[in-house]
Amino acid sequence: MTNHFIDFKNADVILVMGSNPASNHPVSMKWILKAMEERGAKLIVVDPRFTQTAAKANVYAPMRSGTDIPFLGGMIKYILDNNLYFREYVVKYTNASVLVNPDFKGPGELNGLFSGYDEKTRKYDKKTWSFQMDENGIPKKDPTLKDPHCVYQLLKKHYSRYTIDKVSSITGTPKEKLEEVYKLYASTGKPNRVGTELYAMGWTQHTIGTQNIRTMTIIQLLLGNMGMAGGGINALRGESNVQGSTDQGLLFNTLTGYLATPSGSLVDLKSYIEKYTPKTKEPKSVNWWSNRAKYITSYLKAIYGGRATKDNDFGYAWLPKLDEGMNASWLNLFDQMLKGKFEGFFAWGQNPACSSANSNKTRQALAKLKWMVNVNLFDNETGSFWKGPGMNPKDVQTEVFLLPCASSVEKEGSLANSGRWVQWRYKAIDPIGQSKPDADIANELYYRVKTLYQKEGGKFPAPILNLTWNYGQKDALGKIHEVNVHNVAKEINGYYLEDVYDKTATPPKLLGKKGELCATFVHLQADGTTSCGNWIYCQSYTQKEGKIINMMARRGKGDPTGLGLYPEWSWAWPVNRRIIYNRASVDPDGKPWDPKRAVIKWDAVKEDPVSKKPGMWVGDVPDGPAPPMATEKGKLPFIMMTNGVGGLFGPGLADGPFPEHYEALECPLEENMLSKQRINPTIKLFGDKADAFFSCDMRYPFVATTYRVSEHWQTGVMTRHEPWLLEMQPQMFVEMSEELAKEKSIQNGEKVMVKSGRGELWAIAIVTSRFKPFKIGGSTVHQVGLPWHFGWQYPVDGSGGDSANLLTPTVGDANTMIPESKAFMVNVVKVAGGRT
Amino acid sequence: MTTTAQIAQKGVLVDLTRCIGCRGCQVACKSWNERSVKKTINRGEYTNPQKLNSDTYTRIEFLEGAFGQAPAWHFIKDQCMHCKDPACASACPVGAFKKLPNGPVTYDFDKCIGCRYCMIACPFQVPKYEWEKRIFPWVRKCTFCSDRIAENLIPACIKVCPTKTMFYGDRDAVVAEAQKRLADNPGKYVNHIYGKEEAGGTSWMYISSVPFEQLGFNMKIPAKNLPDNTWAMLREIPVKVVGFVTVLSLIAIFRNRGNGHNAESKHKEEN
Repeated sequence: MTNHFIDFKNADVILVMGSNPASNHPVSMKWILKAMEERGAKLIVVDPRFTQTAAKANVYAPMRSGTDIPFLGGMIKYILDNNLYFREYVVKYTNASVLVNPDFKGPGELNGLFSGYDEKTRKYDKKTWSFQMDENGIPKKDPTLKDPHCVYQLLKKHYSRYTIDKVSSITGTPKEKLEEVYKLYASTGKPNRVGTELYAMGWTQHTIGTQNIRTMTIIQLLLGNMGMAGGGINALRGESNVQGSTDQGLLFNTLTGYLATPSGSLVDLKSYIEKYTPKTKEPKSVNWWSNRAKYITSYLKAIYGGRATKDNDFGYAWLPKLDEGMNASWLNLFDQMLKGKFEGFFAWGQNPACSSANSNKTRQALAKLKWMVNVNLFDNETGSFWKGPGMNPKDVQTEVFLLPCASSVEKEGSLANSGRWVQWRYKAIDPIGQSKPDADIANELYYRVKTLYQKEGGKFPAPILNLTWNYGQKDALGKIHEVNVHNVAKEINGYYLEDVYDKTATPPKLLGKKGELCATFVHLQADGTTSCGNWIYCQSYTQKEGKIINMMARRGKGDPTGLGLYPEWSWAWPVNRRIIYNRASVDPDGKPWDPKRAVIKWDAVKEDPVSKKPGMWVGDVPDGPAPPMATEKGKLPFIMMTNGVGGLFGPGLADGPFPEHYEALECPLEENMLSKQRINPTIKLFGDKADAFFSCDMRYPFVATTYRVSEHWQTGVMTRHEPWLLEMQPQMFVEMSEELAKEKSIQNGEKVMVKSGRGELWAIAIVTSRFKPFKIGGSTVHQVGLPWHFGWQYPVDGSGGDSANLLTPTVGDANTMIPESKAFMVNVVKVAGGRT
Repeated sequence: MTTTAQIAQKGVLVDLTRCIGCRGCQVACKSWNERSVKKTINRGEYTNPQKLNSDTYTRIEFLEGAFGQAPAWHFIKDQCMHCKDPACASACPVGAFKKLPNGPVTYDFDKCIGCRYCMIACPFQVPKYEWEKRIFPWVRKCTFCSDRIAENLIPACIKVCPTKTMFYGDRDAVVAEAQKRLADNPGKYVNHIYGKEEAGGTSWMYISSVPFEQLGFNMKIPAKNLPDNTWAMLREIPVKVVGFVTVLSLIAIFRNRGNGHNAESKHKEEN
């Protein structure tokens, strides 16, 4: 999230699209209802199905799964056509005025493609997606926004095709509903009106997932809602600590703090830094990533300690490297596993046999392993895959080990919520039986692997043997028996390894003493004199006047701004900033656009405690201490963007600088109504038999989507074993409209089969007025929905059913490879004896 | 009776416009009261269990709206209303039910003789019998967390609600809050506080944006104290009540043959 949960209370309009907070984030509804009751805020819900959240909404608009871009593209057109955008914000804080390469062409001209497409590689050459530079290397601009090559004009041209008639016929949303939503949301384009957007997997799990979110960021920039209290783009995270695990480098393509995983062609630290350090000549741009060298070097110092020296490139060679162009994300891993490319697999805190798209393929892939280690609270469909449906245990050679782990209440540590608040938690009870905290399991694994390398050598022992591992008391053999998570947290925060000085000051000013915990990432160095396991977490466990403070354990309840920032409650990354891009909430003179919701404001008289000069920001921690933009030393607000402005034009993505509508891999239409390009041209198409997809095929005529209910969590491993929860939601179900049920002679409560090109499962039919058929391009399209919490293993009598992911396809987003579980095609079939 | 006058009677306002159907209350109730479960199936809706039962003192009913063209979905909390002058207590021949001065209508297991008059007397069909137990089956219902209230804690379901659907306090203050919400939000609510007058007044009351009759609330319950009516009926005990109780007992015996655990048929009968 750019903002945080409590901040929803500050909004005037709340757009819930791609999420269902009443079911899946119930506590967040407290703040949404507060905004509605106390500020008269309006709640808009856009969803294929009338959800529990929709039940509380002022406006509900139905929309066919997978058509968010046309829905929102139509809104962009509405905002531009009616001049409802926040002009000063757009001109000064976004790249609207920047001139683009005149050779750039969009899908309107190239039939659904952007310039530079290569059909063979299914990739774009982004040469033409560039900005025009002046003689000083600064992007050329036209602040009048009239130049035909400026981003604003290109944006206008691109979305001119998204007419309300076209949008309505693609999405199935009635025109008057579209207009109602557009009008209401666009009302936040005024300085004193703010809108927020809440999304979740309903936006990400599409082949166009990243672009769904991009479309909304364009709207938020046009309306001046980024950086504002009550604004922003807010991802409601689906797991309690998924934000934390992503921050700490869970994904294959990042180390910690969103530093890119190096690839093989980046042979040394210098070439890594060169590739990942953006450069700009824009004088007022902070270009924060110009600090990359400090963060990667401090990271290497944290993991390799004294063994990382300037002479050995700080141990850069020991980091694992990706092959050039290699994508080691989820779908590819299991694709490779099915091809027999892996011997072993740690299923750590996960249940891919149910959670993975195209679960049949995943289950078959597991059978190709020699061994699997299942680290979980319970045995699950993954650990027991060899005795699951369709498996003959005799044919499966995979040896499975179950390592029982401690649950969240059986261990101490930190947890990062969706709003980036990192909160310290304490152990309530000791782990049950022989179960261990994950950190202790990792510690055991480390010690044994290290010992093997020491005894037997190996191809490349250095990355393991050179690791620092100062996580607790070591015995005579050098083994730690219990990991002290405070040591881990301190390593993540980082240390001054020498006395570190600010050399730009005269005389040089001491920033931190050798051996102390770092105070802020601003102090990190590229010369090996600081360590930091994760630069964005620097300051989370710090030292002030010699005293060590775990900032994450703070529980101060003060709220000086009255906006619910609670700056002394836990700690938020980065540097305790509660609303990121908050410099965009003030005008170039530092005055809040909306004084009633001042996130920060410039006080020209107040003395800055650091510089001892008059003039400082008050309120939230600003995005950098520079004075207001209009002043001589002022800076542009979007400090993470190379040129300092919000990106209406975003050349960084794989599938286009502007979001364009493409249908899902499986869809009910033969043609994309906007162009000749039916599906996202840059997605990877998997070729295995198990990857079959069927678009516009009579065998699978209905659009399907998956979702969650309040009572279960993810694949249900933690909730299906809980009788109180299972009593409320005992069985797999499929929701469908009364119209579809009538067509198929299906009765409410009847057991039916749901089939896709990849699998099938039984489900109880919930026939409901909450689903309605869509009118798409003149014909009727039905949609159904299924939860994905069930699995064959538990309840043991099989009464729960199996995973909805037996149906979902193996295909991912062009940028992130997240599977497309939110739009695919199925059939629903009556079965004999289905009526109980 | 001076003590009764001194102890304020507690009340709860359930503002149905705030319920999001997350069912945290349903779980919190089971957790605090250490209730088990009965095997359920999906019957083509979210509501589960279908009715209150001896293991489920409160639940959310999910009601889809067919009210006009716009879809609607209502979430209705269901539990004992804790009448000011409860019919269950007046019907109980041994005084097992008691209205406490601070609000809860409680049940004394030791006194109960299992006659189940309370079940017939209750206008809201709240008390439930432990049909599944062969030895010492008791009557079960929401306790208004009387044990928590006695310790100045708020009831478990109210404590856990993320959206403040329930407003808890002295009954007078609760009525005043309900009236304030109706007055402050013209057009938002129907002009009725359910439970303020019904059955002579109940400790739990509701306000709603949808007419109560459309949500399945019993609108035929008179505004007078029910015990008067109860006694009029209970005079005919030999004829009506004993006959009813005998039928229920026979059903229970019949059903408890074999493993005595056929949960599905149980639901049907309770429905």
